[in-house]
Amino acid sequence: MENPIWGNGFFKKKKKEDDIFKILKQVPIFSDLTPKELTEVEKIVHKRSYKKNETIIHAGDPGLGMYIIVKGSVEIVEQDEKAGKRTLAKLSDGSFFGDMALLDEDPRSASAIALVDSEIMGFFRPEFLDLIYRKPKLGIKVLLALARVLGERLRHTNELLTQIQEKKV
Amino acid sequence: MDIYAFQLYSQILKIFWRVFLIILAIVFMVFAFPYVKDVLIMFIIAWLLSVLLSPLVNFLEHKGLARGWAILIVMILIFAIVGVSFSLLIPRIIRTVESIISKLQSDVITDYSLKIENFFEKNFNNAELGRNVTATLNDLILKLLGSLGEFFRSVGSFLASIVIIPFITFFLIKDARRFKRAFISQVPNRYFELSLNIIHKIGNQVGKYIQGQALDALIVGILSIIGLFIINLVFDGPLPYFVLIGMFAGLANLIPYLGPVFGAVPALIIAILNNPPNLGLVLLWIVIVFILVQAIDNAFVSPMVVSKSVNMHPLTVVVAVIIGGNIAGAMGMLFAVPFTGILKVASSQVIWGIKNYELSHPSRVGENLSKKDK
Repeated sequence: MENPIWGNGFFKKKKKEDDIFKILKQVPIFSDLTPKELTEVEKIVHKRSYKKNETIIHAGDPGLGMYIIVKGSVEIVEQDEKAGKRTLAKLSDGSFFGDMALLDEDPRSASAIALVDSEIMGFFRPEFLDLIYRKPKLGIKVLLALARVLGERLRHTNELLTQIQEKKV
Repeated sequence: MDIYAFQLYSQILKIFWRVFLIILAIVFMVFAFPYVKDVLIMFIIAWLLSVLLSPLVNFLEHKGLARGWAILIVMILIFAIVGVSFSLLIPRIIRTVESIISKLQSDVITDYSLKIENFFEKNFNNAELGRNVTATLNDLILKLLGSLGEFFRSVGSFLASIVIIPFITFFLIKDARRFKRAFISQVPNRYFELSLNIIHKIGNQVGKYIQGQALDALIVGILSIIGLFIINLVFDGPLPYFVLIGMFAGLANLIPYLGPVFGAVPALIIAILNNPPNLGLVLLWIVIVFILVQAIDNAFVSPMVVSKSVNMHPLTVVVAVIIGGNIAGAMGMLFAVPFTGILKVASSQVIWGIKNYELSHPSRVGENLSKKDK
């Protein structure tokens, strides 16, 4: 049973912070960070709640940053004029999306919609750039991890392309 | 499907309450303004200071200092500089302005009035016209100097009476991100990214603009002091308050087009009051110094430190200065243009947001909510 005196105070806050740290640790770009460094990241993320069917990001909007699913489920969809709505992925707790927007402001390529009531954390480029300047050591750590994630994705895309080309030949 | 009037009732009620609350807020602000004016001014000054000091704090943090310590060091430094300069300068400025006023009232104006009256009598055979001209001129000069004295006196008492500004500044720098997060957490999801992006862009651009203006004013001030110091050396000290005049010229430079003229006037008046043997030459050199300072500022300093996006039409500047003067006197005139600049930067970012975010997207106008309701 929850302690009536401490239940709403310090311990509950600490528990919530631990949960956030656990989620952040699951995200590859934060996985190498120490607890102290995670506290710095925790200070700049935005926690949001989305209702079922609510749009989190709109395709075509300028990219601002990435989102991490704390609790819930999110569908990544692409709207095609001919083919209509196409689901690209369904993501759940601990997954992340929109990470390319940490690097530039190019328009979002797909929309993200909450499939159920969801808790989401947003990590955005302006705060990331500010973090790189203020805490270069930490910033570089995150930046390197981001480069690793994008590199892996590029390698995977290359493999797929090679497979397609081989099939054509 | 047809929509009946009773189906719109809840929507109309919602709009009514929104409009009612907005009107209530406006009425409250209008009535509360005289009571919160001082606090508001304190917050504006503290905010300006926080914008100016943040880069220094960030730099120290970048060098490895904890943010709290970085803010504390910068604040102590600023406290010391501001405290020493104001305790030395403000009483001196007030004394200078008051002495100029009394000097003008006693002999110089009478002297020049007589000269002007004689000139009109000799050339136009109309002493009455001469008297009218001198009376208008006297009135104008005394009003100008009176408002100047009042301005410095109010700034002095203002700064002396409040030690709160540094505390507000401290917390504005320390908790800026927390305040921003708290504010943005209240924005509905559909406008979240748009608002966050616009707030960041406005913060960034306005910060750059304020820092650029401050740096520009500082450089113009220093250049004017150097120029006037050289005049003092060459002509055997016709400008005793050249440091103060230079500082004023730097501040006046916040007003484009008109600023340089405002900046040169005190130097010319003080030179005339001191009446050195080669007055004409001294006046000429003062004008040359201010033209040179402006040329250097326009050619090298401004393009580097002041954002080009804030270039203002001369007409905008004049209108802003007049409105600023009407609202808050000399202080209003000085800060009208920077304030207009801030508004311009902010509105351009809002327009950018409206252009780049699809505001008419179904999910932004409540399509999902209606789906959920069904």
